[in-house]
Amino acid sequence: MTRRVVPLALFLSLLFVLQAFAQVDPGVRGGGAAAGGPLSSVAANNPVTILNFFNDAKDRFQEIDSVSGTVAGEGGFGLGPRYNSRSCVACHAQPATGGSAPAVNPQVGDATADGATNPVPSFITSSGPVREARFPFFFTNNQPDPNRPNGGVEDLYTITGRVDAPTACNSTVLPRPSFTLAVNTGNIIFRIPTPTFGSGLMENIDDATLLTNFNNQQNNNVGVTGTFNHNGNDGTISRFGWKAQNKSLEIFAGEAYNVEMGVSNELFTQERPLPGEDTTTGLASVCRVNPTPEDHTNFNTTSIATLSDTVQFAMFMRFLAPPTPSTTVPGGATSINNGRNLFTSIGCAVCHTASLTTSPSRFTPSLGNATANLFSDLEIHHMGTGLNDNVSQGGAGGDQFRTAPLWGLGQRIFFLHDGRTKDLLVAIEAHDASGSEANSVEFNFDLLSASQQQDVLNFLRSL
Amino acid sequence: MLRRTAQALVFLSILPIARAQEAGAPDVPLRKLPTDVILVKGAVPSASDTSTPIPEGGVVRKDVYSNDYFGLSYALPAGWFEKYKGPPPSDSGAYVLTMLRPGPTYKGASRGTLLITAQDMFFTPLPGQTAKESIEFTKKTLQADYKVEHAPSEVTVANRSFTRFDYNSPVAGLHWYVLATEVRCHTIRFVFTSPDPALLDTLIRDLDAMKLAEADAPLCMAGYAEKANITYKVDPILTEQKFNAIPVRIIIDKSGKVRHVHVISAFPAQAKAITDAVMTWRFKPYLRDGHAVEVETGILFGAQRAKPVMTAATDNAKRSGD
Repeated sequence: MTRRVVPLALFLSLLFVLQAFAQVDPGVRGGGAAAGGPLSSVAANNPVTILNFFNDAKDRFQEIDSVSGTVAGEGGFGLGPRYNSRSCVACHAQPATGGSAPAVNPQVGDATADGATNPVPSFITSSGPVREARFPFFFTNNQPDPNRPNGGVEDLYTITGRVDAPTACNSTVLPRPSFTLAVNTGNIIFRIPTPTFGSGLMENIDDATLLTNFNNQQNNNVGVTGTFNHNGNDGTISRFGWKAQNKSLEIFAGEAYNVEMGVSNELFTQERPLPGEDTTTGLASVCRVNPTPEDHTNFNTTSIATLSDTVQFAMFMRFLAPPTPSTTVPGGATSINNGRNLFTSIGCAVCHTASLTTSPSRFTPSLGNATANLFSDLEIHHMGTGLNDNVSQGGAGGDQFRTAPLWGLGQRIFFLHDGRTKDLLVAIEAHDASGSEANSVEFNFDLLSASQQQDVLNFLRSL
Repeated sequence: MLRRTAQALVFLSILPIARAQEAGAPDVPLRKLPTDVILVKGAVPSASDTSTPIPEGGVVRKDVYSNDYFGLSYALPAGWFEKYKGPPPSDSGAYVLTMLRPGPTYKGASRGTLLITAQDMFFTPLPGQTAKESIEFTKKTLQADYKVEHAPSEVTVANRSFTRFDYNSPVAGLHWYVLATEVRCHTIRFVFTSPDPALLDTLIRDLDAMKLAEADAPLCMAGYAEKANITYKVDPILTEQKFNAIPVRIIIDKSGKVRHVHVISAFPAQAKAITDAVMTWRFKPYLRDGHAVEVETGILFGAQRAKPVMTAATDNAKRSGD
């Protein structure tokens, strides 16, 4: 008996020691939110009245929309007929307004808010990430059809049953996508909200700066190549969204308002049918409740209220300051500094470019000639089979994604485009896959000692 | 690649997982999309025929990496393997030919990797026309995080001239030993990485057994597809502006006909239009020492943002000592 107990005790001690030295994601950095405020020149109200614009824009960003603006406590207007959530801040909330998916998923409550009768899809959970769903392919006879690429957003919910929805707009004329079929056939992918802190700086980086960075990057010894996504109309480099498919914050805002909340606006002027409906029947007239565009310039005022929501959403994101990194948490200053150097040395910074300089700005001084510590090259890179989502957007193929900006990473909960993990280590390992440009860099990370890896993790969580 | 394509083509006929669940749906088995296949691709490589070797066509078979295009054959270190394929070639002509690493059967005490890359010098966005210049540029632009171990120098490996450059990261404790040479107007780099310099020295010593000889390769010449050399030409019509650079390599046979078109990176419709057009082009036969020889050259279609460095017609095969 004793002979058995001793080895067991030794084994448990060894296990404890190994665990003590094993690298772990420190988790979401505590303390107050290190983001969410305005740029310093905006806070200083330079130019005069800009702070009023920011504050008004933030209010609108946080406003809950109802179908026709008739629900008490819900100041917004134009929800649906299909939607993923009911306000911008519902999804862009962590660690502050403008961020990414929060700890408690508001989409569970959105399903039945104000009398709506939506079932909650299996992939939406209270503790999971906010998600939008896309079907890579259309279905033919209930089978995913690779000859019919789709990739559009399939809204989770409809307004059917809501107290402010017409009774004629029922599930017969406004069907929901079959998420069960999509899940059972693997014909579904997810996207989570991208944080918007510092996005005005990203918007104001000139193409020439990005191209120079691209050329410098080609001299790497880690197998990274990369390219850019482009705006189809003028050919310039696009940069917002998981595949860098959107050119500007205003387009980003207008599309999200239309796709995620169902609000037609001056950039996306019609109520949005589902993919497939758009080429056949369009939306049923009984579900097109409001005159369009539902969000528009308001001509009956000379105040800030003149601006449309879409313009103000873009203004809010544009004027949000970038996250403030911690110099000491987690792990202490030495570990964080070491992690930063390791991050560069092993090649992460080839794609996750530490900083880029913005152009002069006519909006506000903080946006001009500024150093944007975004940790992204804003290029799209092949990430291989592990992260591939079989959705093409602009010039990006199924496995190509924009280098995710890492500023603010320390206070994010969910990682990767679909929010599949809360663990930074898992996110790093997901870079290693067949067809990925990051295989060599990821293996360099594997070659580090456990304490070095911990330094890298501490550095990332300090951002 | 072929295996994946085949998987993609047959996925609808395999893996029955459930029954259709929609009201009124036919009662047929549902098929699940494969999870490890990229079905929706962006810009990808293609070729006018399957018999002519292409740079990205290398394979690991029986513990040997072989690449017919470059005439490269390299026996993997014991217990190493190619876990994953690299990405498709880029629109600036950069290739990850293979990345090798220790596998589950590896018995060694220290670990490392060998990354073999190629840069098509017709399309490189970097300065430098030779392997040596390319490595010199790497040294010149090496960031402060790294320390030079051995400055670039000429070495002979596998009876071939290479430029070798060693550097390390003191903070990471990793060493990079890089060997570069030129083959068919490409710079081939062998990038060895490990915390253990002794392992790297052993790997480089073993590299001497590698075969790297493009004996029957066409003569590679930058800028040969110029007006003065072309006797017949139809421009491809690219019907959709995608803003991407489209690097293309062609092989012109001894009679001046285009024998092979390799579109390095393009969307499928672009590749078809270019291939169909360029295959009809006719050139003056190129004479070397009075004899007509096959010529390989590059043409850049689409966006011109990746400006080729080698714009003058140069006989790089001669310069690299072939």
